[in-house]
Amino acid sequence: MLGMEDYVVALAWLATVLSAVGCVLYGIFTWNKGGSDS
Amino acid sequence: MNLSVLIPILAGYILILSGLAYYGYKKTRTEADYLIAGGNVNPIVMALSYGATFISSSSLIGFGGVSAMNGFGLLWLAFLNIALGIFVAFAVFGKRIRKLSVKLNVFTLPSLLGARYESKFITVFSGIMIFVFMPAYTSIVLVGGGRFLQETLGFNYNMSLFILAIFVGFYVISGGLKAVMYSDAFAALVMLSMMILFLVVTYQAVGGITAGHTALSNMKDLVPEDLVEQGHRGWTSMPALGSPMWWTLVSTLIMGVGIGVLAQPQLAMRSMTVKSAKDLNRSVLVGGIFIFFMTGAIYMIGPLSNIIFQDTRGELALTVAGGNVDLVVPILINEMMPDWFVYLFTLTALSAVISTISSLMHVQATSFSEDIFKTLGITSVFGGKISLVRFGVIIGVVAAVILAYILPGGVIAQATSFWFGICAAGFLPVLIGALFWEKGSRAGANASVVTGFAVSIIGFLFFHEKESAAFGISEALFGKGALLGYPVTHIDPIMYALPLSAIVFVVISLWTYKKQGHSVKAANQQEIAK
Repeated sequence: MLGMEDYVVALAWLATVLSAVGCVLYGIFTWNKGGSDS
Repeated sequence: MNLSVLIPILAGYILILSGLAYYGYKKTRTEADYLIAGGNVNPIVMALSYGATFISSSSLIGFGGVSAMNGFGLLWLAFLNIALGIFVAFAVFGKRIRKLSVKLNVFTLPSLLGARYESKFITVFSGIMIFVFMPAYTSIVLVGGGRFLQETLGFNYNMSLFILAIFVGFYVISGGLKAVMYSDAFAALVMLSMMILFLVVTYQAVGGITAGHTALSNMKDLVPEDLVEQGHRGWTSMPALGSPMWWTLVSTLIMGVGIGVLAQPQLAMRSMTVKSAKDLNRSVLVGGIFIFFMTGAIYMIGPLSNIIFQDTRGELALTVAGGNVDLVVPILINEMMPDWFVYLFTLTALSAVISTISSLMHVQATSFSEDIFKTLGITSVFGGKISLVRFGVIIGVVAAVILAYILPGGVIAQATSFWFGICAAGFLPVLIGALFWEKGSRAGANASVVTGFAVSIIGFLFFHEKESAAFGISEALFGKGALLGYPVTHIDPIMYALPLSAIVFVVISLWTYKKQGHSVKAANQQEIAK
């Protein structure tokens, strides 16, 4: 039987993976955005 | 460990690093080159260099061992490392830091804060805090490197310490931030390739993700009795709410280190080294991947090592390591990975040490020369025979080596928490204010920086048992390791010093904002930063 504290940890694993995927997607979609001003 | 194999690998590695440092030296012409690598670094090099500076050997070996004891709950820290340490640091803070630093023509975090609040006090005080307290962090990273060379290669500890410090000091003096960033980026590539492999092999060894996590859940009953009393509920559960283990995990490991990263001077200034907001977007991609395979991977490998050791030896990771968490990762590598990996992992740990120390020494030196002396109007020493910033590097190297012998043994984790905690409490409210809030005033910022540093330092020295017992000042003055009882002994000072520093900043700013008459200028800067 899974308790609340088990879900909190499963969520941590998922959040870690998804945050890395999010960074990759953000980088791809904004690769040429944001201006090249100096 | 066969030294006849390792020595040539090590020599080749040192040669490549030296070559990159020399390349940085040849490319360093101006003050901006030395201080912010010219402000036009390739975003991929910037992200790799930021990552390598972020991750020291203690984040891999020390924290990997801690996660073997605590379980997957530590992955919340990996999540914060990526979400705050990369995404927010580059895409949110970084863009404004870069614009504001160009506008105000400053090269360091204390100078940025001082220029924004028109306060020389902030620049000098912050510079002194960095120059006085950062060497303690530098020296324990150095100690980590020295111990690692001693334990894995049988090198003489004293010799390792001196060679590491002098080698790094030499290339920081000669090539400035360009040498630091090029060699960091190479170190990062070594670290990245090894850690990807390490993570894949570990998950293969436990039968994949689902099988591995299920097996680890089923080991819940094997948790040692003393850890159960501390609140341990198995490696795939959070510790019991409010237990000593829960407080340590949430307040020190997750909050202290997770939030502290945003206010690290050597990391915050990296955004000044690229030439546009577009470059910072590109850095997010590389940085996210890199940090995932560093802290994300090691916090997955650590808990899973319990399954592997249970299969091979019938013991838990902590038992195999004889209770010393720092030995879990080295033993796992020796047991599970092929010989060639062991050699290359040695380079990974060494890369992590060198890349972190070099950036710390660079920031210490710029605090010494730019933030303290130049703000006070002193621009040369010894009749100009050596530049102030290079003199700062030499002092930093000497201080780190001396402190390595003075600081008590085994305080790597505590000294890291201490440094991250005081930076978060001292710098974070005023940095956020500088970037996002036009009503932040000089008086509010001055009071906030002093409050943040003072309260957090007092908290670490007298109330938070892990550090206060290790540093021994409370014991010497008052005859007890910590002045108050549980749970204050287990609540990281960042939990009260940071809110207090933020409240002081907001209240005094609102109270004095109209009186100062410089708010119009500040508001203009806000417009620029948007």
